[in-house]
Amino acid sequence: MTTTRTAGTAGANLITQILMWALPVLLLGFYVIPLLGVVSWSVTQPVAGLGNYARIVEGGDISSVFLRTLRISLISTVATVLIGYCLSYYWVMGSRLRQTILEICIFIPFWISVLVRAFGWLVILRDNGLANGFLMATHLISEPLGTGRNEFAVIVGMVHFMVPFSVFPMATVMRKIDRRILLAAHGLGASPAVVFAKIFLPLSLPGVFAAFVMVLVFSVGFFVTPAILGGGRVVMVAEAVFVQMFQTTNWGLGAAMSVVLLALIGAVVAVAYRLLGVRSFVD
Amino acid sequence: MDNHFKRDCLLVLKDKLSEGAIDRRTFLTGLVALGAYSAIGAHSAKAGDGELVVANWGGDAVPAFKSAFADGFGESAGKPVKIDGSGPTKGAMRAQFESGAVRWDVCDADPGSTKALGQKGMIEQVDYAVVDKAKIENGFAFEFSPANYFFSYVIAYDAKKFAGDPPKSWADFWDVKKYPGKRTMFKWMSGCLEAALMADGVPADKLYPLDMDRAFKKLEELKPHIVSYWDSGAESQQLMRDGEASMGLLWHTRANLVETDTGGDVSWTYAQGIMAASGWTVIKGNPAGKDVAMQFIAYCQDPARQVALLEALGSGPANPAAHALVSDKFKRLDCSSPENRAQQVAMDSEWYAANSDKALERYLAMVAG
Repeated sequence: MTTTRTAGTAGANLITQILMWALPVLLLGFYVIPLLGVVSWSVTQPVAGLGNYARIVEGGDISSVFLRTLRISLISTVATVLIGYCLSYYWVMGSRLRQTILEICIFIPFWISVLVRAFGWLVILRDNGLANGFLMATHLISEPLGTGRNEFAVIVGMVHFMVPFSVFPMATVMRKIDRRILLAAHGLGASPAVVFAKIFLPLSLPGVFAAFVMVLVFSVGFFVTPAILGGGRVVMVAEAVFVQMFQTTNWGLGAAMSVVLLALIGAVVAVAYRLLGVRSFVD
Repeated sequence: MDNHFKRDCLLVLKDKLSEGAIDRRTFLTGLVALGAYSAIGAHSAKAGDGELVVANWGGDAVPAFKSAFADGFGESAGKPVKIDGSGPTKGAMRAQFESGAVRWDVCDADPGSTKALGQKGMIEQVDYAVVDKAKIENGFAFEFSPANYFFSYVIAYDAKKFAGDPPKSWADFWDVKKYPGKRTMFKWMSGCLEAALMADGVPADKLYPLDMDRAFKKLEELKPHIVSYWDSGAESQQLMRDGEASMGLLWHTRANLVETDTGGDVSWTYAQGIMAASGWTVIKGNPAGKDVAMQFIAYCQDPARQVALLEALGSGPANPAAHALVSDKFKRLDCSSPENRAQQVAMDSEWYAANSDKALERYLAMVAG
């Protein structure tokens, strides 16, 4: 009896050990090693040195691609998290019916392809589209607002795409908040605004942080939405890397841009971590 | 994801034709994370035993190549041909050569790109003992890639709006007073510098070498009137069909599709069109060997096969003898026929081989700036 149990535990241990090592090994083999290859390209091609990095920071066209990417990503991430936070709050705190309605509103767009959604926004936002057509028909405006095929349209499209992704981590954390604490605060005479600001908001910050990081990482890599809604003008880093890799075959510069992008994301995440004072993704 | 983008794009917009640049982004996602080599492998056809892999740009070009060239060659040479539509971009071809794992035997590639790679020793020189120079339009039997078909960058316009006096030149294209409305041009530069220079008064026979400063100055001038720099052929078609642009620089194949779709509300002209060649290319170290690849290229030179491709894709035949076989219905699409060619200028791939990398970076900076 005892022997069998020991053998069983040993077997389970072995499996656990294998499973535990599988992930790091996969990461090392399929991510870290190729990534090191990319890093080495960035300092060896076309000539050894830091020329590619100099080009990124020197203030020319490549620098402006990075600035544009950061600007669009930060604006759309902040907008996404704000909208997502309101939605999550409304969802988690609502009645059963309200929850169901919101679930439908969040899930249905989630299942529609990014391409269809981008085209949908194009139909609404472009000069001869639904929004401008309506506003002109009602004489609220006389000229189209120029809402389609530019940076504004790209941000709208990206926010719409990412809101569901931000809702899930925030709603999960909000659900775990003990309602009795809120009731207690209320019972001790705190106004709803104070209860929210002093209790609910701090407790929900881990969810905000998780959503922020996820959405930001998504948004710096956007490709399809800017290509469709940006009128060809909104070139972000992902597309610029593609150009260096496949069009001009300047692999060194493309690699350097990827490395800088990775470092920038790391930096932004670190800053957000500091600002929000959060220790982990889920508390 | 990007593959889906193209596929969806074709579905959504009910494309009948597919064109060059549409598949240029296929491998981006994997590339960024993993580096080019492993990404290239992900979607590529692999050369099996005794198989010949021909790489083109996907979409309807896959069945078109299959019926025009591949099936017949498979039977006559006893070597089955597989079409891989993942897009032989310059970067993809270079990656295959440098990794030592060449998977494509014959590529349908841009002659400017292949010349640039050929000068670095990555591309086989064409064996003109097997491939017949006489079956290639004069001036297009390049060292590294004989022309296999032609397409043209033309002016498409709103024929209802400009019914009285349709545009006939790039100068008209730039004239937003006489021809009001938005414009659309190609995001990947080809043809746009030539159009700008002709609009600025450079004679068609004195275009090359392109005066970049002058061209960019002219392009900047039109920039406020550009509604979109189109990326895929489908997008250019949509912009014209929905009236978002009143004039556009389009591939003639796409321009023709919009004309059909709109029942002539959008039309197009070969006037000052910029005719470009696509060329067959063999990467050094191709799996089936150089000889078979050259035989395949020679096989495709047959006039009837060239016409079959025209009827499927709308591309102009590379073999001058093919024009006589083109039926009336397809004569307008035959961009390389003597009548149509007389109105156009030929794109100089030599200039692109030497200058396109720098010029494209400058162009994209202009577009995005």
